[in-house]
Amino acid sequence: MNPAIQTRDLSFAYQDRLVLHAVSLSVDRGEMIGILGPNGSGKTTMLKIFSAVLHGQGAVKINDRDIETYGRRDLSKLFAVVAQESRMNFPYTVAEVVLMGRASYHSAFALEGKKDLEIARASMELTDCLLFANRYLHELSGGEKQRVMIARALAQEPEILLLDEPSAFLDLKHQVQVFELLRRLNRDRGLTIVAALHDLNLASLFFPRLVVLRDGKIYRDGSPKEVLTEKTIEEVYGIRVRIEQDPFSEKPQLFICPSL
Amino acid sequence: MKHFQRLITLHLLTASLFVLCNSAFFAHAASAPRSQRIVSLAPSVTETLFALGFGNRVVGVTTYCDYPAEARKLPKIGGFMNPSLEAVAAKRPDFVIGVSSATDPVKAREMERLGLKVTLISLASVNDILSSIKSIARLLGSPEAGEKLVDKISLQFDEIKKRVASAPRRTTLLAVGLRPLVVVGGKNFINELIFLAGGENIAGNADQPWLNLPDEYVVAKAPQVIIEAGMGSERGDSAKHWGDLKSIPAVREHRVYAYQSDKILRPGPRIGEGLEEIARLVHPECFAEAKRGVNKGKGCEGPRP
Amino acid sequence: MKVLDRRKMIFVNGVLLALLTLSMVACTLLGPVHLDLSRALRDLSFANPDAEILFRARLPRVLLGVAIGGGMAACGVVLQALLGNPLACPQMLGVSGGASLGGILGLILFPNWLLPIAGGLLGEISWVPLAAFLGALCSMTLVYRFSLFHGRLHPYHLLLSGVIFNSFIAAVIMFLNSIIDFYQAQGLLFWLMGSLSTRAYLTVAFIWAYISFGFLWLWAKGLSLNLITLGEEAAMQLGVETGALQRQIFIASSLMIGAMVSVSGMIGFIGLMIPHVMRLIIGSDHRLLLPASFLAGGIFLCWADTLARVLLAPAELPVGIITAFFGGPFFLFLLYREGRKALTL
Repeated sequence: MNPAIQTRDLSFAYQDRLVLHAVSLSVDRGEMIGILGPNGSGKTTMLKIFSAVLHGQGAVKINDRDIETYGRRDLSKLFAVVAQESRMNFPYTVAEVVLMGRASYHSAFALEGKKDLEIARASMELTDCLLFANRYLHELSGGEKQRVMIARALAQEPEILLLDEPSAFLDLKHQVQVFELLRRLNRDRGLTIVAALHDLNLASLFFPRLVVLRDGKIYRDGSPKEVLTEKTIEEVYGIRVRIEQDPFSEKPQLFICPSL
Repeated sequence: MKHFQRLITLHLLTASLFVLCNSAFFAHAASAPRSQRIVSLAPSVTETLFALGFGNRVVGVTTYCDYPAEARKLPKIGGFMNPSLEAVAAKRPDFVIGVSSATDPVKAREMERLGLKVTLISLASVNDILSSIKSIARLLGSPEAGEKLVDKISLQFDEIKKRVASAPRRTTLLAVGLRPLVVVGGKNFINELIFLAGGENIAGNADQPWLNLPDEYVVAKAPQVIIEAGMGSERGDSAKHWGDLKSIPAVREHRVYAYQSDKILRPGPRIGEGLEEIARLVHPECFAEAKRGVNKGKGCEGPRP
Repeated sequence: MKVLDRRKMIFVNGVLLALLTLSMVACTLLGPVHLDLSRALRDLSFANPDAEILFRARLPRVLLGVAIGGGMAACGVVLQALLGNPLACPQMLGVSGGASLGGILGLILFPNWLLPIAGGLLGEISWVPLAAFLGALCSMTLVYRFSLFHGRLHPYHLLLSGVIFNSFIAAVIMFLNSIIDFYQAQGLLFWLMGSLSTRAYLTVAFIWAYISFGFLWLWAKGLSLNLITLGEEAAMQLGVETGALQRQIFIASSLMIGAMVSVSGMIGFIGLMIPHVMRLIIGSDHRLLLPASFLAGGIFLCWADTLARVLLAPAELPVGIITAFFGGPFFLFLLYREGRKALTL
């Protein structure tokens, strides 16, 4: 199995504040990993380092090659990132935004061709936003925008999909839809998926491997059954929970024990 | 003997008393400056004051007041558009004289509120200039000085008018700046001087006293004389500036003059001399001692050159 | 799916190019002075007043207006993308302030110095626009230095330092205004409000070469500009070297703006308004927005200059007054009609 992403002793500091501390992680091709951890544990930073937005200390290898040896355009054909929030200052239509994902596939001087349009349309269909292809992005709701961003990421035809809390603004129906889509992409296309997640139950249901970060270090790395224990949750998140195995999915589910 | 001595002493006493009283009276008149301190807020006013003989009463002038030479040594009270309120007040003037179109009216009101007597004269036209000379003279108690100066200037005017009377009118452009092109317009005393000098200002129909002119207008109006009277005008520069517009008669016939002169630009007592300078440029042939060999030999009365 | 395709590119640019050509012809024929075209063309020798009005007085102005209007509009487009701010305009970079200050100092200190070109063979140019360009370079360098952090130009810092720089320069200019004399004050107005008055084809050719080069270079970056409006990180993740792009755009647009202001003074409003107008009509894709804005800017300034010459004839108004005066209400009108559906950001 070729490792898609491999880090060894990765560290990163924001102005003297250590955010990641000697993180060594290996993600195989075709794996689907959920990164868990409270705010500030380094989830977003790690994703940014994977997509070469930030540069940390320590080795990061993509497909067995050091990440620094890749040009940005090449990286954008390997990785696609769906950020938590998207802000646009100028009016673009949904179709235009999704087509921007094709930027690395044609020269700067050429306009998008038939193939680009086809891929864009297919991506929008997958994420259920073809209906508002000609509407302006800023007219859409948060959830609809998120789906457009996923469509754009898919239009990049990446090998690896990085998502930062993809379900943050979605309603329940669309949360499930997105995760089901991710699972389908992982299964049918072999897409490697690394997602930072905050909903532990959904993470448990959909992601076969979970990595828990605490204070910039990897605390636990394994299957949901191995990782989601009451002790782990209490140590990492600081709350008391009750874990029970869901009979249908055979995955652990959390039940919160509020103090009041 | 004692009677005679007493008579002499009485006469001497009376005489000296008489002399003393009279000299005190004359001394009072001669040292009137002590009670007539004047501050001038404009170079043209300064020139007028000196020309009227009140130079020794002037206690404050602007930084631009450079004529006559004595004015340069006088204490300065600020600039032309922005005199300093404190500096003016500190001079304790009896009269403050400014120009209505230039002096900041807010400052003028402030000065009045401080108890100073502020007079703003209008210098918009030749008539205004002459009548303000008279009114300044009246204000300062010597109306005859005003009349004399105005008569002198009027004589200068008449002299020039006579000289150019028979010459045909020449279209003229008088510029004070080249980049951008700023010229004398309609409501401007210089416009009148041009007319009196036997010229016709091509921008004279404009209402503004100064205006930016587009080049195409100058070409269309085809002036026969172009005078550049602005600061720093150099002969070489002006010839190059107009050189490519050969359809303009002034360019073709080399009647483009760079002639920087305060006499032309300042609405003061030297406008008579300014008029002569303009006339010499517009109609050089009317002056016996024609300069630069232009039209030598051709009479003042003649067909249009 | 409505996206930018070749047909739209050709159509929009074709229409604008046609309008531009018509405008250039019209503006050369219009003016405060009557021009007899047949007489002008009949006798192209020297000393034909109609030919001189057409070819020496009006044509250079029209050509310069197209270049500067186009250049300002194009710079406005890229600056709005670079700073991520729809209110960004060329004046905000501080470059134009530096150029104005340099020009004013040149006007006060050495208004009559001339520099011979090619040993005098190609004529001479005044030192004043050179001083203005030097001023532009100085302020560009300063603003750049103040905004560069870790090799990246942060839009926030760029905006701030540019605005503060402009305020400081405005204060210096006002100070100069209070100590210069009446005749120099007219020259100062030129720098602050702009004028296209020129007869020098050398200047026009130089500006055309300069602006064309800069514009073509910026046009090539059109796709990257689209991506950078998604945000710096998203652009990086889509393959754009944002650090390098920001630096290059800043320098390219600063040099263009510096050159334009050095020649014509500060003509405002075009860089702010034209990009928005074109966005409302043709959308935000920079690959079309840049050339369309360039052409539209040229058309606009052409007509603005004609109005400047005609409105208060024979006097000539500073063209910056026209661009603000007529540009503003027109833009508001367009915003009211079309903007509600597209600009509710």
